[in-house]
Amino acid sequence: MVLSGWESVFFWVFALAALVAGLLTVMARNAVHSALFLISALVSVAALFVLLGAEFIAGVQILVYVGGVMVLFLFVIMLVNVGAEEREQEMLFNHTGQVTAAVCFVALLVLGLFYAINQSAGRFVPSGENEQAVSQRDADAARLHNAATGVSKISEDTQRVGASLYRYGALPFEIASVLLLVAIVGSVLLARTSKQELAAADVDPRVIPELSAAGELNPAEIEAAARAHAAEV
Amino acid sequence: MNSLFTPALALWQGGVLDNMKQGIAHPDLSKFLIIGALLFSIGVAGVLTRRNIIVIFMSIELILNAANLNFIAFSRYLQETGGVNAVAGQVFTVFIIVVAAAEAAIGLGLVIALYRNRETIFVDKINLLKW
Repeated sequence: MVLSGWESVFFWVFALAALVAGLLTVMARNAVHSALFLISALVSVAALFVLLGAEFIAGVQILVYVGGVMVLFLFVIMLVNVGAEEREQEMLFNHTGQVTAAVCFVALLVLGLFYAINQSAGRFVPSGENEQAVSQRDADAARLHNAATGVSKISEDTQRVGASLYRYGALPFEIASVLLLVAIVGSVLLARTSKQELAAADVDPRVIPELSAAGELNPAEIEAAARAHAAEV
Repeated sequence: MNSLFTPALALWQGGVLDNMKQGIAHPDLSKFLIIGALLFSIGVAGVLTRRNIIVIFMSIELILNAANLNFIAFSRYLQETGGVNAVAGQVFTVFIIVVAAAEAAIGLGLVIALYRNRETIFVDKINLLKW
């Protein structure tokens, strides 16, 4: 796997963009700026995925991360108060000792990872070594249809990922769908206020005295909720 | 003086610069791994140093993305060297993205619930198990 020509230029551009945007995500004072820098880091990583021939994953990354997760982040930043940090009333980082220890740890981590990668770098089989795989790939590429522009070919990457997903990963796929369902229910439950909790018609009546003991609601609201619940039952 | 520079000179003539030029002009698997390692380390630094819980979540997303980059790079490497089921890395990446989405939804729900109770999003102020 060796990139060359414009591919390598794009590799360095997007790799540096991802690293700089990642650093700025961690350093930015304003949480909204952090989120926007994270979006650019994610888009740069998606571009690296395209360079690696994983167009489907790049699309999923943009759709799910940038379109879904980051919008969720921005909504939550709007809901909570991050102004104190922005106005320099609150510290951005932990205490100096903690930050020093963390930075030392991360420097050691970087050194260790660099050492491990450099040790193993020479042992990767260079591209073109396995002639059977190369001839197979060329034969596969020759069968592909031209894309609309005629410059490149339509890749079968998505098709292969889909087939592999359903053939080898069918059970994890189903488990992932259950996980998403649990996440939906859980986040709805977590984000509910106690008033919304009482307003639900199916609320357990035992919740009402608990809430009044906690002092989160005024008596009129509890009365109204109890009456609504009695009417429902 | 001469002896001090001899090893450096030997390294220079041994083609370190040429190797470096070759590495920059033709990035291979190890370059992707290094970018992934650096992104991972930036994410770890963010988790360990920041106080804002939302930025900590964002750093976790950065860490997950670094892992994804490694998976995709190895997947491409296996495709070119004739590995068995070479797209397994891409399939695993799909699962990581799913788990990251679920984690973000739950985590941000927790942040909202926490903010409603404690009026803070700074992790060093959330230091009581019961109050």
